[in-house]
Amino acid sequence: MSLAPTRILLRIYIGILFLFVFAPIIASFVFSFNSDRFPTIPLGGFTTHWYEKAFFNAELLPAALNSLTVALSTALLSTFIGFTAAYTDYRYQFFGKTGFLILGLLPPTIPLIIMALAMLGWLSNFHASGMVVSIVIAHTVLCAPFAMAIIRLRLHQMDPNLEPAAHNLGASEWVTMLNIIIPFTRPSIIAALCLTAAVSFDEFAVSWFVSGLNKTIPVVILEILTGNIDPQVNAIGSVVLLVSIALVVIAQSLVMGRTRSTGTAS
Amino acid sequence: MSGQKARRTDWYALSWRVPLIVWQGLFFVGPLLFMIAMSFFIVKNYRMEAAFDWGNWIKTLGRPIFWDSYFLTLRLAFGATILTTLFAFPASFFLSFHASETFRRWAVFFLIIPFFTSYLVRIFAWQVILAQQGVINAGLSLFGLGPYTMLNTMFGTMIGYLTLCLPLAVILQTFALNGVDRRLVEAAHNLGCGKFHTIFAVILPLAKTGFVVAAVFCFILSFGDFVAPYYLGGSKPPTLSIMIIDTSKSGQQWPRAAVVALMMIVTLMGVAFSAIAYAYRRRR
Amino acid sequence: MRQPLVVLDNVVKRFGSHVAVKGINLEIREGEFLAVMGPSGCGKTTTLRMLAGLEDPSEGDIRLAGQSLVGKSPHERDTPMVWQSLALFPFLNARENVEFGLKMRKVEPAARRRRALDWLDRLGIGEFAERPVDQLSGGQRQRVALARALVTEPRILLLDEPLSALDAHLVIRMQAVLTKLQKELGITFVYVTHSQSEAFAMADRIVIMSKGEIAQIGTAREIYRAPINRFVAEFVGRNNIFTGTSQGGGHVETPFGTLTVSGERAKGTPVSFSVAADLMSVSATPTATNSIEAQLLSEEFVGSMVTLFFEAKDGTELKVQMPERSFAALPLDTSRSVYLNFAPENAQLLKD
Repeated sequence: MSLAPTRILLRIYIGILFLFVFAPIIASFVFSFNSDRFPTIPLGGFTTHWYEKAFFNAELLPAALNSLTVALSTALLSTFIGFTAAYTDYRYQFFGKTGFLILGLLPPTIPLIIMALAMLGWLSNFHASGMVVSIVIAHTVLCAPFAMAIIRLRLHQMDPNLEPAAHNLGASEWVTMLNIIIPFTRPSIIAALCLTAAVSFDEFAVSWFVSGLNKTIPVVILEILTGNIDPQVNAIGSVVLLVSIALVVIAQSLVMGRTRSTGTAS
Repeated sequence: MSGQKARRTDWYALSWRVPLIVWQGLFFVGPLLFMIAMSFFIVKNYRMEAAFDWGNWIKTLGRPIFWDSYFLTLRLAFGATILTTLFAFPASFFLSFHASETFRRWAVFFLIIPFFTSYLVRIFAWQVILAQQGVINAGLSLFGLGPYTMLNTMFGTMIGYLTLCLPLAVILQTFALNGVDRRLVEAAHNLGCGKFHTIFAVILPLAKTGFVVAAVFCFILSFGDFVAPYYLGGSKPPTLSIMIIDTSKSGQQWPRAAVVALMMIVTLMGVAFSAIAYAYRRRR
Repeated sequence: MRQPLVVLDNVVKRFGSHVAVKGINLEIREGEFLAVMGPSGCGKTTTLRMLAGLEDPSEGDIRLAGQSLVGKSPHERDTPMVWQSLALFPFLNARENVEFGLKMRKVEPAARRRRALDWLDRLGIGEFAERPVDQLSGGQRQRVALARALVTEPRILLLDEPLSALDAHLVIRMQAVLTKLQKELGITFVYVTHSQSEAFAMADRIVIMSKGEIAQIGTAREIYRAPINRFVAEFVGRNNIFTGTSQGGGHVETPFGTLTVSGERAKGTPVSFSVAADLMSVSATPTATNSIEAQLLSEEFVGSMVTLFFEAKDGTELKVQMPERSFAALPLDTSRSVYLNFAPENAQLLKD
């Protein structure tokens, strides 16, 4: 085939692209075990020093607890809101629906730094900034659209006659919701929980503005970064990475597994 | 619901509509509207007071440094958008047209991972990699090259923006290309259009909307990002996002930061709407 | 006889372990209207796609005017195709769609515009030249697709079920457009369809494919009157198929008694034969040869023709087709048995 050289070039290209995307992730992991403060080639010796340093960092434990609290609360709240919005979009046509969808999907298009400032001003106005709950409120605004999108995709795969069929067989709206819709969307609900938790767990700009003294892990990282080069960031980052990837893998396998088994062939 | 049912209040339907409206109304629309109001407030003794004063607008927009920063940020964001679009295309083209279904699935999966690794940690890793004595310069010195200054340059900023945007751009472009009707591609070949020419004559026009959406996201992300220009670009001169941080974090000048933020939103909306209008433009 | 324009020489196409086309040999004549028919999955579309170069044959050779096409990219061939989906470019208007092939052949803008407009006029849609294709009706889109394929003046046009998306009344009209065009241009049409009426109405010759092989090639009349095997007889659908055991001397023992056919098979071998529905007659009393007692089940009118469905004593369904006028003259009622008759020379022995 005359196309073969192109194909090989494209293969090499995509390899380089993946190298670029994963270079910082891999590097951070490798550097976290490297004894040099300024890692370079050749690499220094193996050490767990940075992990120890991070572990005994007085700020980190409360930050980790804050992060977990925020991520869990955000996941529950934003998935709930996302579900209601996705279901409304799936099921109903009504006056002002475009506005409703804009409200549901616009937040990710506003830069985080702007959301951070707006949220800080608004919450301070009600003396509600600087608390852990302030971060949850802000993160829920940011994460609900993701939950909505994921659950909406799943609803899209549902036979539109399923719900009328249940009504026809004598099930009320709420019974149908509990027995048909929620079981059908369960994988996407779990996926949404995982993804929103992961997004919240990594968000730093809004957290930094509204958290006050109740820092989360990314805020601590940001503050360490503003100081000197300190490889304990790599150690913290590697742990955070593992947690996040675990969440994503769970979410992805749920979404993908279901799509494969019930998705339409094409 | 249609017909007679619509006449009485459908509590079931309403109860699913309310959460989003209440929450996003209170905590999304509310803050943004408040920010508009805030841009007219005044700051006395490090305390913000409600007022209707054009001073913040006049002072902020009257300073040349604001406009320097504004156009720098625009240039950087456009540059990042163009670079990302160009760098992503060969990859998304390969994934959509040449890779197997399994390979594509895995590639997309791996491209999603970066979204859930801390962007800060990745930027920190680039700081170390790109440093004067970093991995790349050490590698290049083996060939007798360098060292090159990569940190605190435009190059560094772009690396950061690409780190932020490239995975998303590849994913969105791949989806856009997957939506291209393969029969139209075959029709083009059948009518005498070569493989390479078909990309421009048929595939890109068909995938235009998806590509524009991907580009708009790149623009939004890089226009609002403060990490790449600060930690890799050295913040010389500062971008608008850095300006927001500096203004609001020092001296409680939230109203002036609000002016900068509103200018950014207006710009973003302008760019996004013209891009979408271009993408969906109907033919005569 | 004219020289073959296209020769398919033992062409095989495999997709993984699935063999879509199992070594077919076919000569397509210059200027003929050839229909390729068969049930879905019979390999007809794959064959067409190989002609267009959209699939490469796994084995064998395809020659156009004596030159092998194998290994030639689709865009280097001059074998335009009309798609089932039409595959019009949605971002171009009607005229730009038609110009596409000319543009690829580096025809000057002014010349290609003129040629595109000529073709749109010729197909009666000149006034819609500047319309986006998604604002055209099904029939108009069809004509744009035809113009787009024909504007480069090819020697052969490939059509992949182009009328299957149209309403019934439009199909008849487009059939007329297609046959007229083909006669005027004198070029070869290769027309893939699963519709018998389309194939029989338009084609000079028909290729019937089954399971990746060619079952029969012939004119509409040959295929209708002399189906070569059971598959073709059943596929054509207007045939009654009988099975039995040869008694020698043209006699076949069947559940309806001994029937006589023209043709000979060794005594004792199982045979089957078909009789076209319009070659059967109905009478109140049995005739000398080949009379089958049956009762009328139902009748179906299509235009001026009527198809009568009978049930023989053993439950077999038989069909008889006749003009509506002859039907009116028949003394038929569902309570009484009648006799269905056919002449031995109208019984066609089947290969399997």
